[in-house]
Amino acid sequence: MSCERFREQIPECLAGRLESDAREKLIAHLELCSACRADMAEIGVVWRGLESLPVPEPGPEMRSRFVEVLEAYQAGMEQGRMRAAAPVSRHWWTLGWWPAKAAWQTALALLLLAAGGFGGHYLARPHTANPPANSEIAQLQAQVENLRQTVALSMLQDQSSSSRIRGVTYASQVQQPDKQIDQALLFTLNHDANVNVRLRAVDALENLAVRPDIQRALVDALPLQDSPLVEVAIIDVLAEVNAKAALPALRQLMQDSKADLAVRQKAVAAVQKLEVSK
Amino acid sequence: MWEVRAGDVGKLEELFDRHQRSLFHFFLHLTASRSTAEDLVQEVFYRILKYRHTYQPEMSFRAWMFQVGRNVHLDYVGKNKGEVALPEDVVELRGPDAPPDRQAQKKQETVLLRKAMAALPREKREVLIMARFMELKHEEIASVLKCEVGTVKVRVYRALRELSDRFFALSGERAS
Repeated sequence: MSCERFREQIPECLAGRLESDAREKLIAHLELCSACRADMAEIGVVWRGLESLPVPEPGPEMRSRFVEVLEAYQAGMEQGRMRAAAPVSRHWWTLGWWPAKAAWQTALALLLLAAGGFGGHYLARPHTANPPANSEIAQLQAQVENLRQTVALSMLQDQSSSSRIRGVTYASQVQQPDKQIDQALLFTLNHDANVNVRLRAVDALENLAVRPDIQRALVDALPLQDSPLVEVAIIDVLAEVNAKAALPALRQLMQDSKADLAVRQKAVAAVQKLEVSK
Repeated sequence: MWEVRAGDVGKLEELFDRHQRSLFHFFLHLTASRSTAEDLVQEVFYRILKYRHTYQPEMSFRAWMFQVGRNVHLDYVGKNKGEVALPEDVVELRGPDAPPDRQAQKKQETVLLRKAMAALPREKREVLIMARFMELKHEEIASVLKCEVGTVKVRVYRALRELSDRFFALSGERAS
């Protein structure tokens, strides 16, 4: 065997992983070859020196960040499964819109009662040549919208995260949301403790994000987020609605070395998209 | 990993607990930055989650994880070309005015060794970190690098040889 082949075995020998036969042959060679012996001695110095290099432990926040991402991912998978299963496993009247809590059930019952009462009143009327006034229909619609909005706003303040998610869903169904709904959704996005609720709020705000004021609010929300998933979701929305006003903030984010890598990558992609669509 | 691949993604938490430390050290030796190492660990596990269906059972999870880790590091290097990965205290103890006692000498050796490591080409640093710090078997390193076991032996030796040359050149004990 050549010196070169023997020398290639030195790291394994130092690691204690060389089989005994090979080790004995290497030792025998080292006794005879001074060049290989010197090689072994020098490499041995750095091999042992590497052991003394200080190696800090990862902080606990590394694990908590991962668990947060994993939980949000699982929640997303679960939602996807529910959506996929819904058309075959449920009838329309048992869809998941009915709240679990009695208080919300009462509020929704009132909503349906108002709609039913008004509808019954209208149907029971003798039909005359004059059609019902448009104002009556508009009044009914306004009452239904108001009640839906009230239910949504109340549920957004609930202690249970699943109720708050339902609240966001109701809020997104309001046809013409007023400022209260906007503010409630933005407050949820910026302050809710649960990442799934915040993600759902981003989804709900997507419908409103054609408006410049909502785009600005989403840009302002970016630095407030501590979850990369939420940041990515916001960037997706801004790119989707072609929010060019977000370009400076996105450029800054993609160069921020403290930002999460996935967030920076998403910011790069969004900037490219927005620049191309100019 | 099979259960994760089949959709039971909650099991990834166990894999994270088992391997986060070695992966963190892998990136720490490569980047010399604690916060970057932590970010890159997150990115590896996020990619594992996202691309779990590409995992093949013939490869050990550890080898696959380091393969993903290498790619994540490559992407990071590509995006941070201007940044030099040097430990902050490298310059601190250089020069002839370092204290002569043994403790200071040991500290200086450590500093020089870290500097020599940082100066190694990326491929050599990678293989050395895997062999010395991760204690990966040569078969596992071969899986990660997609090469023959014999090639790994040669690469580990050459990386150590170059590290040794750089270290002794810096310490002035032997001309390289």
